[in-house]
Amino acid sequence: MQLSREALLAAYRQMKIIREFEERLHVEIQTGEIAGFTHLYCGQEAVAVGVCEHLSPADKIVSTHRGHGHCLAKGCDVDDMMKEIWGSRDGLCKGKGGSMHIADVTKGMLGANGIVGAGAPIAVGAALASRVDGPGPDGLKIAIAFSGDGACNQGTTFEAMNLAAVTKAPCIFVFENNHYSEHTGVSYAVGTNQDIASRAEAFGMKAWRADGTDFFAVHDTMREVLEYVRAGNGPAAVEFDTERFFGHFEGDPQRYRGPGELDRIRATRDCLTRFRASVKGAGLLSHADLDAVDDDVMAAIEGAVAAARAAARPTPEDVLADVYIAY
Amino acid sequence: MSNMMYRAAVLSTIMEEMERDPNVVVLGEDVVGGMGTEGGPEAIGGIWSTSTGLYDRFGATRVIDTPISESAIIGAAAGLALSGKRPIAELMFADFIGVSLDQIWNQIAKFRYMFGGKTRCPAVIRMAYGAGYNAAAQHSQSVHQILTGMPGLKVVMPTTPADVKGLLRTAIRDDDPVIFLEHKALYATTGEVPDDRDFMIPFGHARLSRAGGDVTIISSGLLLGMCEAVADKLKGEGIGCDVIDLRTTSPLDEETILDSVEVTGRVVVVDEAPPRCGLGADLCALVAEKAFSSLKAPPLQVTPPHTPIPFARELESAYLPSVDKIEAAVRRVLAWR
Amino acid sequence: MPDIRPFCMPKWGIEMTEGTLADWKVAEGDTFAKGQLLCLIETAKITNEVEAEYDAVMARVLVPAGAEAQPVGTLLAVTAQAGTSAEEIDAFIAAFRPANAPTNPGAVVKEDPAPAPAYAPAPRPIQTNRAISPEALKLAEASGLDIEPIEGSGRHGRITLQDVQQALNAPARPVLVGTLALAEEGKAFASPLARRIAAQHGIDLSGVTGTGPRGRISKADVLALVATPAPTQGAAFAPVPNPPAIVPFDRVRKVVAQRLTQAKQEIPHFYLRSSARLDELLALRKTANLVLGAKASINDYLVRAAAIALARHPDVNVQVHGATIHRFAHADVAIAVASPNGLVTPIVRQADRQSVAQIAQATAALIDKAKAGRLSLGDMEGGTFSISNLGMFGVEEFAAIINPPQAAILAVGAAARAVCERPDGSAGFETRLALTLSVDHRAIDGAAAAQFLATLKGLIEAPEALFA
Repeated sequence: MQLSREALLAAYRQMKIIREFEERLHVEIQTGEIAGFTHLYCGQEAVAVGVCEHLSPADKIVSTHRGHGHCLAKGCDVDDMMKEIWGSRDGLCKGKGGSMHIADVTKGMLGANGIVGAGAPIAVGAALASRVDGPGPDGLKIAIAFSGDGACNQGTTFEAMNLAAVTKAPCIFVFENNHYSEHTGVSYAVGTNQDIASRAEAFGMKAWRADGTDFFAVHDTMREVLEYVRAGNGPAAVEFDTERFFGHFEGDPQRYRGPGELDRIRATRDCLTRFRASVKGAGLLSHADLDAVDDDVMAAIEGAVAAARAAARPTPEDVLADVYIAY
Repeated sequence: MSNMMYRAAVLSTIMEEMERDPNVVVLGEDVVGGMGTEGGPEAIGGIWSTSTGLYDRFGATRVIDTPISESAIIGAAAGLALSGKRPIAELMFADFIGVSLDQIWNQIAKFRYMFGGKTRCPAVIRMAYGAGYNAAAQHSQSVHQILTGMPGLKVVMPTTPADVKGLLRTAIRDDDPVIFLEHKALYATTGEVPDDRDFMIPFGHARLSRAGGDVTIISSGLLLGMCEAVADKLKGEGIGCDVIDLRTTSPLDEETILDSVEVTGRVVVVDEAPPRCGLGADLCALVAEKAFSSLKAPPLQVTPPHTPIPFARELESAYLPSVDKIEAAVRRVLAWR
Repeated sequence: MPDIRPFCMPKWGIEMTEGTLADWKVAEGDTFAKGQLLCLIETAKITNEVEAEYDAVMARVLVPAGAEAQPVGTLLAVTAQAGTSAEEIDAFIAAFRPANAPTNPGAVVKEDPAPAPAYAPAPRPIQTNRAISPEALKLAEASGLDIEPIEGSGRHGRITLQDVQQALNAPARPVLVGTLALAEEGKAFASPLARRIAAQHGIDLSGVTGTGPRGRISKADVLALVATPAPTQGAAFAPVPNPPAIVPFDRVRKVVAQRLTQAKQEIPHFYLRSSARLDELLALRKTANLVLGAKASINDYLVRAAAIALARHPDVNVQVHGATIHRFAHADVAIAVASPNGLVTPIVRQADRQSVAQIAQATAALIDKAKAGRLSLGDMEGGTFSISNLGMFGVEEFAAIINPPQAAILAVGAAARAVCERPDGSAGFETRLALTLSVDHRAIDGAAAAQFLATLKGLIEAPEALFA
């Protein structure tokens, strides 16, 4: 299905927002202004956007420790996220969560997660909730568990896939294979010959595979997957082959990378470059169109950083708030 | 009022709340029982008979029989709760929190706080706990001491059928995550239970089951009955015991404890969990910190020893607190020199 | 190693600070046997006979019979085995350091006729393989306790200090409260104590909103209802709960209670009442304070007046110790001060030798210390006379309890205007001060006390003499 000009511009803008958000954090973290652990999503933008462009706020996603991309793609506010990462009380989570715990349930974003593999069962729960509500005019609301090639080895992920399979929960397991679980290569850590999707197939699920650096491949694959799951056929899985442009965490010396590896993947596997080439080659969008988006995004990120710097800091009294609704 | 068993109080409360609120969902291992067998659904109806008939009444979307996957059960409860449902997850044995602890401790307990107070996670996690069935070290434990220390959770441990009713209803309607601990050895006990379908007991409200001015005995669950037996025995000697059933260990009814200790000056905490870093130690610290000037004797704990739970009958009964051990502790604080 | 042992002033009970060696029953150089009567020692309470605990020779007597009272712990004599040289005894005495108020835990005071060992038995070493804390072992050894029956409460049965302390004490016989009424849990959620109070006062809690956590009704909520009754005309009186606030005696109160009970029970008090015209003193004080630049109070003048009167009547300026009267040349006047810790009686030393200004300075310093709770034992010990003044509270007159070992106390009431007859026969007004002297009849007779009081009255009414 051909995407409209507006849809293409929106998708590009979303990917660019994620890219510049992360590139800017990479710079800002060096200054020490941002505390804690940060894991950047840079390089994987086509997956988050290619998946989430299909979703409504009533569809749920559960993310990972590398969650900024999923949050932004699912509609979390750029300024509020930046404030959260800065630790402001005006942040999306009032400065209580930080980079690893961003959530916005009003957008169907049920949380990034600091525990690798913890998200998949939660997504199954969200899918079971949808099953209670039953299908709407567009079929069932779905839930997506984003997992990496690290989380695919956690027992929770296996338990979640099996539970989804036996309950026919409308859940989609999206595996982003960026070839590194923390600092360990996928060829070492994933026993099924690096094939993650085959694990889902072993649980009786239908599984897809696609190039996660090609927005159009992701988007088209997800259209199929979602049609299948919304129709009530039970869970499904997709494995996207993608790239991580930065280390596991900010400050990671990345000594595990091969010579020239980062330059090579940036040159050949950058989803934004590929998107530009595709739309220009097909005559869908012009350079000027995309440059205008770039300028707009740069201004938005600049504004977000300025807003985060100026935002109110939390007070010691805030420590006690929001443990319970009532205690 | 109706006379019913503790287990029936659990089931009828779940039934009533599922009828009242379509968002209430039950999930767990064998909560239907018999799925995928020739016997068919409801062949078992839950091993504790606390979910019998729910599947027939409400169907597979709201009564979810799960594989043996404790992490997935609790994780799914988390996802259901974040998506606006009121899941009641059952862990067949409390000991299985070990398998699912990440979902309880790192996920459910912390969502609201981590997400800046913008989410609700109204999940109830029911589990059968406690010794007395010769079920040995992995099927007999009392886990409230682990869970009470986790900010974000509420922990309930009812003693009577009426309290099951009032507290489980409160738990289901509560918007925070609640751990609901049911003592296996109490399932078959009976008691009068209010028929009111809105009967609720607020959390953090302890029950005084015996009143007296000389010693405060604090407990909850199976051991409370032993404490009452000791109080009734000592009454004949003119010794009056306040027996406090905590009902919930989080939130804790500090007021009832301190009010009592300020009168008696003597405290015995009776707990089924081992002594270190547990409820007994917690309450002894509470009275030492906040009622020091009232104390006439050091606060004492009656707990099992710092060992796993043994199997053989003789060993298990030697392991557990008993009426004799509780009485000895009460006499010891009374005779403090 | 010659077995040289000290014989010190014993401490019998926490109140005893000093004792007087009334009589030696064994002379220096005498051999004595265990159980033999060694000496008589008088305390403020009683005379005790002290028996030998062992066989030895009275090597050296350091405090002769009839000497002044000696503080607890003072070396009174040295005993040794026969044949010990004088040099060894000298060396022992030179090296001797009295323990600060030894408690002689093993010594048993048998009040008449049974004698008391004044010598602390050497700690009995305990040989044991059992785990025991160092302090616990020390206490067990000092008290001669057999630790074998003790069930150690520590890890692996280790015996703690608390275990030893418990083993040394008899089991408590608690005063029991017994069972209480159990108020039913109704629809309204209230704490058990709140329900009990409500039941006692017939308060219906169903309409009450609690201020406790989760809207719970707490004790305070119910007490608020009890405390604010809206009595209708003619309604029967409803008593409110009036539970006592139970405050155990603190250290100071214990001492006050013990001493005053003893004084009131043991001392045959008699009382002399008089009053003195104060107008002259008031006038003089005004000018004197201007001249002196001091802020001497009426009480300071009274201290000075009493001290001068005491110096003139030494038979009133006395202490009573057992069957002896201690007479003093100078007057140490104690003043009763209400401190945050209770009644204290710091002493203005040798007030007869101090000027009014000096006394004012001394009392101001003592009162400051008393209010800060920083009075030392030295500030309060001894004294030959006390003055207690409640005039500032408008008390007309009162009789005070003697503060032993003193033998008299002056109670001063409020200065009051009174009608008087002037020298010309007309009626006028003057300011009079009520004085009540409490006297220990064992030491002071009525006439002596009356003479003292007359002198005091004269000094107050002609106060120029206070500056003599």
